[in-house]
Amino acid sequence: MNKDNKYIISLDNVSIGYNKAKPVLSNINQKAGKGELIAVVGSNGTGKSTLLRSIAKLQDTLSGNILLKGKKLDLWTRTELAQNISFVSTELTNVNNLKVIDLISLGRFSYTNWQGKLKENDKNVINKSIKKTGLENYKNRFFNNLSDGEKQRVMIARSLSQDTDLIILDEPTAFLDLPNKYNIVNLLFELTRTENKTIIFSIHDLNIAIKEVDKIWLINNNKIYEGSPEDLILNNTFSNIFANRNLSFNVKTGEFKSPVNADKDICIRGRGISYEWTKKAMERLRFTTECNKNTKIIVEVIDMDKKTEWHISNKENKYVCKSIYELSLILREIIKS
Amino acid sequence: MKVKVYTRYFYLFTLLIVLVLLFSFLDLYFGSVKIPLRDVFSILLSAESEKASWVNILYEFRLPKLFTALLTGSALAVAGLQMQTIFRNPLAGPYVLGISAGASLGVAILVMGFSSVIVFTGISFMGNWAIVSAAWIGSALVLFLIFIISLRVRDIMTILILGILLGSAIAAFVSILQYFSDESMLKTFIVWTMGSLGGVTKSQLLVLTPGIIIGLIISLLSGKILNVLLLGESYAASMGLNVKLARFVIFISTSMLAGSVTAFCGPIGFVGIAVPHIARMVFRTANHNILLWGTLLLGALLMLIGDIISQLPGSQNTLPINAVTALLGIPIVIWLIIKNQKLSSLM
Repeated sequence: MNKDNKYIISLDNVSIGYNKAKPVLSNINQKAGKGELIAVVGSNGTGKSTLLRSIAKLQDTLSGNILLKGKKLDLWTRTELAQNISFVSTELTNVNNLKVIDLISLGRFSYTNWQGKLKENDKNVINKSIKKTGLENYKNRFFNNLSDGEKQRVMIARSLSQDTDLIILDEPTAFLDLPNKYNIVNLLFELTRTENKTIIFSIHDLNIAIKEVDKIWLINNNKIYEGSPEDLILNNTFSNIFANRNLSFNVKTGEFKSPVNADKDICIRGRGISYEWTKKAMERLRFTTECNKNTKIIVEVIDMDKKTEWHISNKENKYVCKSIYELSLILREIIKS
Repeated sequence: MKVKVYTRYFYLFTLLIVLVLLFSFLDLYFGSVKIPLRDVFSILLSAESEKASWVNILYEFRLPKLFTALLTGSALAVAGLQMQTIFRNPLAGPYVLGISAGASLGVAILVMGFSSVIVFTGISFMGNWAIVSAAWIGSALVLFLIFIISLRVRDIMTILILGILLGSAIAAFVSILQYFSDESMLKTFIVWTMGSLGGVTKSQLLVLTPGIIIGLIISLLSGKILNVLLLGESYAASMGLNVKLARFVIFISTSMLAGSVTAFCGPIGFVGIAVPHIARMVFRTANHNILLWGTLLLGALLMLIGDIISQLPGSQNTLPINAVTALLGIPIVIWLIIKNQKLSSLM
């Protein structure tokens, strides 16, 4: 067969959206291989959800072809599709009286008979999904009593029990706190390695995406830029895109920064962890830390046995601070005067 | 763990069946004519009694009424459960699709729209078949509209809102008809809206029964579909459900259930909204293969209780069944809402 077969999903000149005259995105030619973790990033309204829903065939494309394992999506039956692509949405469903294990079992919908009776094989797949997602102790709890992070984990377990090669998640971390965000993305990473699943998900937190995924599809100005996170950093895709947004992208650390005020420079002297965090604090307060000849303010970080002191000096005065917070207050005073 | 759950279901179902049988018997016993318990038994077993009128009362009146109560109760409750699940809304009921509004429009046009001569000769000629047919045609028209909408509209919530709006528009039209009609017609119509289990004759039961039985069979077979719809239509579609077909099947069975009941007994409220909640609370499950049966039995039971209350045991008067079911159902819904604090946690 053709070489597209090695891709789980490939988009061939696809345009998506709701209105032929005004497509949300067009000329999409992305491909996803087996076992890849792909993050779709982009601002609100750039078409991330539309793209993901189109790939999952939850909505139709405007033109072009989406191929699943080399065969057009339209040529697969409903049941075959459900056994090849599963979907997790950002919405945290509210269902009372529904046990975690029963919800996960719903993933077997396309495999069971009209009654929905679970056979031995179905039960094995369900148990494996529960194990993979670390939900053994939640099996018999009611879904509604879980935290948001646990709920999303259950929804992922449900998609695993659907036993598909491709899993699509539309902002699975949107309502989660930071540790849970990392947890979920880490779980997705694990699934691509241990289960060889192809996972495509959208996420707003670029910092997480950069640290975890194999490939990023970055949507900007109706175009999709593709590459590993590092490639996109090295070829300046990120810097170019975020240049005009009052945000700067630090090529060295792969992090975003707020713009700095170049004429507020500070010299920091010191070493170790206290030095690193003092530097971060200065950046947070919109100082640069270039430390050139014209720099008037000098901060010395002095690590002592059990405590750390910060000595500030400018032309006129000297101050001693016992915490970074105190330091920041004094710096504000100095700048004002 | 699992075994324990299933024995719990077994006990609950046994209890419910026993209660339905018990209340069925009480329903036969209570009435404005007092028939001693022993005679009720012997008439049921042998169709004979010292008083021919008692046999008549039981066979021509109370037994048909009993079957009507059993059928309408389970039909409305199951229809309500289906609507709550597909619309994911705890206040949805069998009438959200506009079925009762359509039926009332049909009856209103029949009773108040034509000149009184046609109506009274018509009603005396056809019995209340005329009203039944008018209600059927009315609700069928509204359903046809909803079906067309549901084929075009992607979002199920839009259908819910359109159904409610359509219902309100029809109600407005009906009130215009009421405003311009004379007293006797108005009374005929108002009495119809109050609902009645006793008006269904034996021959009408022959039409009502298959309609409801077919509706119930379709519902009881669609447990798996309803289960997967709990997560919403997007999820259901991604798991392989043909959403439009599922909507079609569920709307068909709901209209057979609620449509038949409304045509023969008038709009009977709140059974369809309250009973599914009671079933969820009693069975503590979201599995429709259990809930559908539980709702069916609880619906029959609640309607029997309603019917017994409406007979006002010991008195010659009866209350309209619609008022009784509302007064039974509303406190249950209120209690559930207060107990759960918020509506969204009901389902």
